[in-house]
Formats: sequence, C-alpha cells, structure tokens
Amino acid sequence: MLAGLPTEFGELYTEHSRAIFYLALRLLGDPEKAQDATHDVFLKAFRKMDTFRGEASWRTWLYRIAINHCRNLQQSWNERHLFSNADEAVWENAPAATDSPLRVLETKELGERIQKALDGLPPEYRLLLLLIADEQMSYEEVADLTEQSADAVRGKLHRARKAFAAIFKQSA
Amino acid sequence: MKRQMKLTPQEQSQQHTAAEQEQTVREFASADEMLRDDAAHTVVPPAVAERLRESAAGIPAPGRSWWKRLFKTD
Repeated sequence: MLAGLPTEFGELYTEHSRAIFYLALRLLGDPEKAQDATHDVFLKAFRKMDTFRGEASWRTWLYRIAINHCRNLQQSWNERHLFSNADEAVWENAPAATDSPLRVLETKELGERIQKALDGLPPEYRLLLLLIADEQMSYEEVADLTEQSADAVRGKLHRARKAFAAIFKQSA
Repeated sequence: MKRQMKLTPQEQSQQHTAAEQEQTVREFASADEMLRDDAAHTVVPPAVAERLRESAAGIPAPGRSWWKRLFKTD
C-alpha cells in the first residue's frame, strides 16, 4: 500500500488510518477535507516519528496529531456552524433519550443523520463521543487526550450521549 | 395434504412491505454502538495512501534500527 516507505509505517497506516479518517470525517463533516486531513496527519507522523516516546499508544499519539490538526483547520476556515444556546435547549429539555434504542431505516441515511446529530453538539461533546466509541480507547486515554480527569469525561459523556440521542431522534 | 393459501394482491403487498422493513430497520442500543458501526463501515479512500506515499517519498526515512526499537521487532 505504501510501497517505498518503511514496512512498519505501512503497518501503522493500515492499522490506524480508518480511525483517523473517521475522526476527521465526523469532526470536519466533509469527506474531501477528511481525506486531506488524514494525509496530513500521517505525513506529520512520518516526519515526527522521533518524538514518539512510547508513553502513549500509537493510536493515542495519532489521535493527538489529528485532533490538533482538525482544530487548526476549523479555526482557520471558520465555516462550521457555531454551537449556540438555542441548540442547547433542544436536548437539555428533551426526555431521557438514552433509555430507548436509536433506530434508523436505511444504512445510507445513517451517516447523514449521525453527522447532523454530531454537528448539533458542542465541539467537546462531539470529540468525546467519537473517541470513546473507539474500543481501543480507555476513559483514561480519552481524558489524557482531552486534558481532563476520567471522572470529568464520564460526566460529560453522559450528557453527550443524551444530547446525541435527542438530536438524532429529532432528525428522523 | 397441505393446502397453499392464496394471498390477495393487497396481502402480498403488505407482506412484501413488512419484509422490506424487517431488512432495513436497524436499531442501536446507544450512541457509542451507532458510531462504532458507522466507523466500521467507513472506508479510507485508496487515494489517501497513494498521496501519502508520494509525499513521504521525498522525506528521509528513519533508520531501520530506530524503527525496530519503536516497534520492538526482531
């Protein structure tokens, strides 16, 4: 796949590119921008391999690069809609939606509705949901990546899940 | 001998619609599960790897021993 580059880097790409691409896709909300971001993240990783000390996992290290990269892009583009108090009211007043299942009719509409629901969340909630959905990530690793305690992550995730479910159900 | 019940066109249509819904309705217990499924069905376009290969080709690769230390390979 990455002929001409070190085999180990190819293995790194094979193992983690889907997770990085998915994070970028859902943070940026645009497949083309997500492709560019994934390319840039792995190129940065290739250049900065000597800064990896093995204190975190490769996945966490790559996520850190990806999160910073996406944040920089979002700040410079300034084109994503901003979270507002009006949005907050939608799910703060919603019933406890996490108790009932989330249903979707067709696979093809799933991605679109997920994106809409994520876009309706505060950026921090969006990021926490995406990171914790990755089974390779622990609460401690997510806490480290987002610079807060694991307890704070748990508390925010509870609210984030509720908010996501409320917005998702409204989009049906 | 078993008798075959003949369905009216309306009954056939209802049966068909029910079967379709059974196939297409998907249910997720949580946002986490839904996002995990969404991620699992996401494919990285091959163009990304190709671009990366071209971009990284001009950058000196780390020494082999350095890679071995990082990945703990023999």
